[in-house]
Amino acid sequence: MSTPLIGVSNSILKIKELINHVANTCLNVLITGETGVGKEVVAHNLYAESPRAQNSFVKINCAALPETLLESELYGYEKGAFTGAHKKRHGKFLTADQGVLFLDEIGDMPLTLQSKMLHVLQSGEFSPLGSDQDFKTDVWVIAATNQNLEERIQNKSFREDLYYRLNIIKIDIPPLRKRKEDIPALIEYYFRLYRSEYPTGHGIKPDADTLAKLTAYHWPGNVRQLQNCIKKQMVLNDWGKILEELPEDPEAAPRVSRENDTQNSDALFPNEANSERMKIISEFVDLSTSSEKLFEDISLKKIKKLASDKVEKEVITFVLDKVGWNRSRAAKILKVSYKTLLYKMSEFDVHPPMK
Amino acid sequence: MAPPKRLLIVDDNEDILSTFYEFFNSLGYEVKTAVDGFAALKVLRDKPDYFDCLITDLVMPNISGVGLIAIVKKEYPDLKIIAMTGYGDQPGALASEAEADLVLFKPIDLFKIEAKVSELIGQNDE
Ligand SMILES: Nc1ncnc2c1ncn2[C@@H]1O[C@H](COP(=O)(O)OP(=O)(O)OP(=O)(O)O)[C@@H](O)[C@H]1O
Ligand SMILES: [Mg+2]
Repeated sequence: MSTPLIGVSNSILKIKELINHVANTCLNVLITGETGVGKEVVAHNLYAESPRAQNSFVKINCAALPETLLESELYGYEKGAFTGAHKKRHGKFLTADQGVLFLDEIGDMPLTLQSKMLHVLQSGEFSPLGSDQDFKTDVWVIAATNQNLEERIQNKSFREDLYYRLNIIKIDIPPLRKRKEDIPALIEYYFRLYRSEYPTGHGIKPDADTLAKLTAYHWPGNVRQLQNCIKKQMVLNDWGKILEELPEDPEAAPRVSRENDTQNSDALFPNEANSERMKIISEFVDLSTSSEKLFEDISLKKIKKLASDKVEKEVITFVLDKVGWNRSRAAKILKVSYKTLLYKMSEFDVHPPMK
Repeated sequence: MAPPKRLLIVDDNEDILSTFYEFFNSLGYEVKTAVDGFAALKVLRDKPDYFDCLITDLVMPNISGVGLIAIVKKEYPDLKIIAMTGYGDQPGALASEAEADLVLFKPIDLFKIEAKVSELIGQNDE
């Protein structure tokens, strides 16, 4: 099963909508964004929503392999094509036939292989190393990179023609610090996931103050870094220590000293207001579901009930505590009937503390 | 009187969009605009068979003009398509490959493109 694309920010909602509209087109897609933002998650969601979902999803990391190995991985080889080629081997272009070929870190592909790739994408044909036979292949190419390809075209390390051929549909995923509303939703989702995966883990969820700090953090490693924090919490159960160990934002210092700069503080406030809002909402709505389900779940009536229940419970407990759990006195103070108070106590599960 | 011809114009440059809008509007066309390929696709899916001609830029965020053309050719084969590009040969070549009816290079002479539009739509009427 693929990871759902969690998030409630406009950018994530728009990406989901885009996926929904283009998953059946099989047009080449280029996914860009910093490390850990979810490029592979998006690629997998495209695949899962496409008519190719029953066929294979084949991934190759263009940065991890030396040039010759990458080439033979992509196109395969005949027996005896080079020293060590003891028997024939299929390449990823063949194993991905009718499915998806995910070219990860495409920005790191060596120039010579870029030309060959361009040729295959133009013609839909390739030949394995050491073979003079051409094979037809029908793969849906989804490429991803955290490099700035426009810059690489400028300094001639990426082919412009290959860029335009891949860039038919472009999905740019903003870094987590530019969509802070997604942070509580991701925390909620991964907390639940890791709880079920680490039954012995007993880390508690962040309280409001910790959540505010986690939301304000700049997350240079994006979602992957956030995941690591939550895993750590499962084991350590010490948010204080985890927050302390997060690398500092090198740009944070100048921002503080320029606090009077109107432009800056303007940009800061809506964000804070936003994260405060998401914090409140997350108390009553499960933000970790998909956006369609989320919108189904949100209903003012339901939320009103949840919110008022929560406050009523606290107030009732507070008053009962003040009057030594004398229920008729409490009912008078609360200006409700004795019966109503008893009913609410049982509904909200309010009990006197054990002596 | 024949109903006005309907155009969908797509460009991520607002200035170009409003220039085209004013121009075609003043000639009696009914014009709708979209700022990128995704916005255009949503307009088209909302009103299939409504437009007579699509005029689209090629290099745009999310769904590029080339992508839009490929999708439109498949889903709305009767819609005439004019591609325009200011980015050299590459996107233009891809647009032809995606079977745009016409590819023009920026800067574009508005009277010339209008002549092409009425030529393309005219063929459609027969
Ligand atoms: N929106 C999201 N919802 C749920 N999980 C996410 C989301 N974004 C990222 N993740 C998770 O974060 C981790 C990193 O995501 P992913 O591997 O897709 O990032 P990437 O952009 O490919 O990073 P890199 O550039 O380092 O390869 C994965 O475990 C992924 O499941
Ligand atoms: Mg990745």
